[in-house]
Amino acid sequence: MSDLGAISLWIALALACYAIAGSVLGKLRVAPPLVESSRRAVYLVALALLVATLSLVASFITNDFEVAYVAHHSDLAMPARFTWVAFYAGNEGSMLYIAFALAAVSALVVWRPQASLRDTMPYTTAILMVVVAFFVAVMGFMANPFEKLPFVPLDGDGINPLLTHLGMFLHPPALMAGLVFAAVPFAFALGSLIGGKTGDEWVDAGRIWGLVAWALLATGLLLGSWWAYTILGWGGFWFWDPVENAALMPWLGLTAFIHSIMVQKRRGMFRMWNILLINVAFGLALYGMFMNRGGPVPSVHSFGASSLGWTFLLFLGVGVIVPLIVFFWRYPLIKSVQRLDSMISREAAFLINNLLLLAVAFVTLWGSVYPLISRLFTGDEITVARPFYDQVNGPLFLGLLFLMGVGPLLPWRRATLAGVGKALLWPGSFAVVVMAVLLLLGMREPYAILAFGLGALVAGGIFIEWFRGARSRHRSMGESYPLAWLRLVAANRPRYGGYIVHLAVVMVALGIVGTTFFGTQRDVVLAPGESFTIEDYELRYLGTVERPLGNRTEFVSTVEVYRDGKQLKTLNPQRDFYPSFNMAATRAAIRSTPVEDLYVVPSENLADGKVGFRILVNPLIWWMWVAGPVLVLGTLVALWPQASPARARARAPVASEVPAGSRASPVG
Amino acid sequence: MDIRAPVKALTSLVCFLLMIVALSLAGGVALAQETGSSGEQGEEAGFDEAEAISIDRMIMCPVCPAETIDQAQVEIARQMRQMVREMLSRGETRDEILDFFAGNYGPDILAAPPKSGFNLLAWILPGVAVVVLLGAGLLVIRSMTVRGVTAREAEPALAAIGAQDDLPTYDLTPYLEAVDRDLGLDIGPLEGPAGQSTTGQGVSSEEPSEEGLSRDV
Repeated sequence: MSDLGAISLWIALALACYAIAGSVLGKLRVAPPLVESSRRAVYLVALALLVATLSLVASFITNDFEVAYVAHHSDLAMPARFTWVAFYAGNEGSMLYIAFALAAVSALVVWRPQASLRDTMPYTTAILMVVVAFFVAVMGFMANPFEKLPFVPLDGDGINPLLTHLGMFLHPPALMAGLVFAAVPFAFALGSLIGGKTGDEWVDAGRIWGLVAWALLATGLLLGSWWAYTILGWGGFWFWDPVENAALMPWLGLTAFIHSIMVQKRRGMFRMWNILLINVAFGLALYGMFMNRGGPVPSVHSFGASSLGWTFLLFLGVGVIVPLIVFFWRYPLIKSVQRLDSMISREAAFLINNLLLLAVAFVTLWGSVYPLISRLFTGDEITVARPFYDQVNGPLFLGLLFLMGVGPLLPWRRATLAGVGKALLWPGSFAVVVMAVLLLLGMREPYAILAFGLGALVAGGIFIEWFRGARSRHRSMGESYPLAWLRLVAANRPRYGGYIVHLAVVMVALGIVGTTFFGTQRDVVLAPGESFTIEDYELRYLGTVERPLGNRTEFVSTVEVYRDGKQLKTLNPQRDFYPSFNMAATRAAIRSTPVEDLYVVPSENLADGKVGFRILVNPLIWWMWVAGPVLVLGTLVALWPQASPARARARAPVASEVPAGSRASPVG
Repeated sequence: MDIRAPVKALTSLVCFLLMIVALSLAGGVALAQETGSSGEQGEEAGFDEAEAISIDRMIMCPVCPAETIDQAQVEIARQMRQMVREMLSRGETRDEILDFFAGNYGPDILAAPPKSGFNLLAWILPGVAVVVLLGAGLLVIRSMTVRGVTAREAEPALAAIGAQDDLPTYDLTPYLEAVDRDLGLDIGPLEGPAGQSTTGQGVSSEEPSEEGLSRDV
């Protein structure tokens, strides 16, 4: 089986190279058959990588320990469902996953390009295939997942216990797909640029794929935080680890991109800026993959230290420099139709938003490279970790929250100061009242008050607009309020999908502010029968049961939770010891409510059934996890094609009498 | 216009109050935590546990990758946490404790560079970068902004990409305009002159199908 996989890797590489050469040559020499055959080669690349993927899966399921990768990342005791996780537990498998994901998406992209893109599609195809070929080549020459051991071990090393968690089924695939899918809008942009189509042709496709990559990255980041929260056992979810940063930066870049691309879509502006922005986002995504898979820095994510770093760095260099050269070559052709009408306009707000997002990305990058700079200039070893990022990025995030509240209220083109004042009146006073109430209640953290106030500004603006829109439909159409709201959202999906995402961001902000400023944390050692009081909870520790299993020993503790003398819940935090890894994996027991989480995790098992617990009360963090689905929903709404005629007909067949043209709308 | 206006104002007010209650509740909930949290446990030992934790979060664990002693679950981190608490109960300040650890383990034991000497660069540069970026952004916006006559010259180009506006009506109901024009923009180019009535435009996208329905019934 594994031979089949190894062979298909080489076939994929050859086909990808053919697709690159074929599409470029076919385009330059005007040979449509060559272009067409290159396009079909893309399908075959995806197919070959699918075969390779399935072959690795088969090797895992049949416990083919002759394959080094299988032997290093699984064992006989591993249940078959963890094959999903073991597949990308190391560099080689991750690379195969990344290559396959991008190849599959490339096949989808070249399948039915929109008419305006057909002309430059060969270049886009070539760019996508260059990225695929890079990953396949790295696998083939440096990190082959199908490499064989000189002998067949009786059993494998087993899967890293930290990975046997629900979050791991989704976090790495979503994140890696998000990173690599950034190549798609990039390929559209660069392809158009090379082909001399420097206008708005690529905008719709770029926006759609940018949103897809963005949402996948966001989902991956949230799931990763959730995983860290439930399993790493220190009660937090984000600590500005270098690899976390490397995933956050491309997300920031894409966030900037999906906003500013709207300006080009609606107003034909920011053409240069958008191309630069997607270049930056793609460069940051490459950097993310480099940090993630190249393993150059110590981090909880360094699962396999490897020598891939320099190869990735080289590709990163090429991926940044080549587009820049193309950009300056085509520079004279890129010109925006539009000019800004006013400094007070949504366009201007978008630009500021872009700059702030890039500033956060820059600060984060700066923090990552500063230790190198310090070593270079002073010889001092310096650490840049969470306190730095909290202090520097915190205010910038508040600025972004502010823009999120104000930006959507500004009209396109221009507004008068009086108009802005009027638009801000209700949301603004709502925010002020919230802040005043919190102040009166005794809250004294300026950051927290400001953050809640800005959250109120954003949420207030959204709900007021929804309410007014629904009311106007209700009045003129007689629709009930819920229906009116649904139709309102359906009538402008990019805008209101974005609003739903904004609400999700506010929810995330609630979780962050709640835990950062108002969380409580205690470390205690309890003997069976002892109690501990935290906030208004009383915890009674009953005892710990030790369960020896095949590859681990589980220590399951029982803790009863009381409040006001009433029992709320029995928690079973758990600590598993894995002798073969000489490490322990914890499972926090969490009583989660929208108000606050009670979080109990055993940090050490001592003699006589005594256990060292870490106990936290984390206010509002529930909102952060719920934000994930809301964010995905909002993105789907924003992405859903606005094919209203077809849908209207499906809803009411008779409506076909109405000339379709009267309802046709521009795509998106 | 007899009863409409008061009803409208009242509904707005109720919704507004509901939202305030909801958000204040969220904040208030968080607040309850804060008031309860200040040093309940450490008090008898002579130190503030919250302060101890915040110091833990500023010291890296010397043996584990990229974790602070607050996060790390190895023995040495435990001992260092204990040491922080002992020093606090002896009355030492946060800076003294951090200096002590930096002296013993080297400056990279601190989770963030000290705000002095060469390391000031680490802290100042981000601020400078933000100011420069925003400054450059404002300059770009300024240079892109057309004024007076040029705005009118841009009009044909505007029409070409399907954007329309009706600035005069803006000042009357700028807010609803923003909503409706946004809706209008999506369907605008194919629907006659836009922006005749603020509400009509927003819902007009549904009209044909509704008409079709009612004709059938």
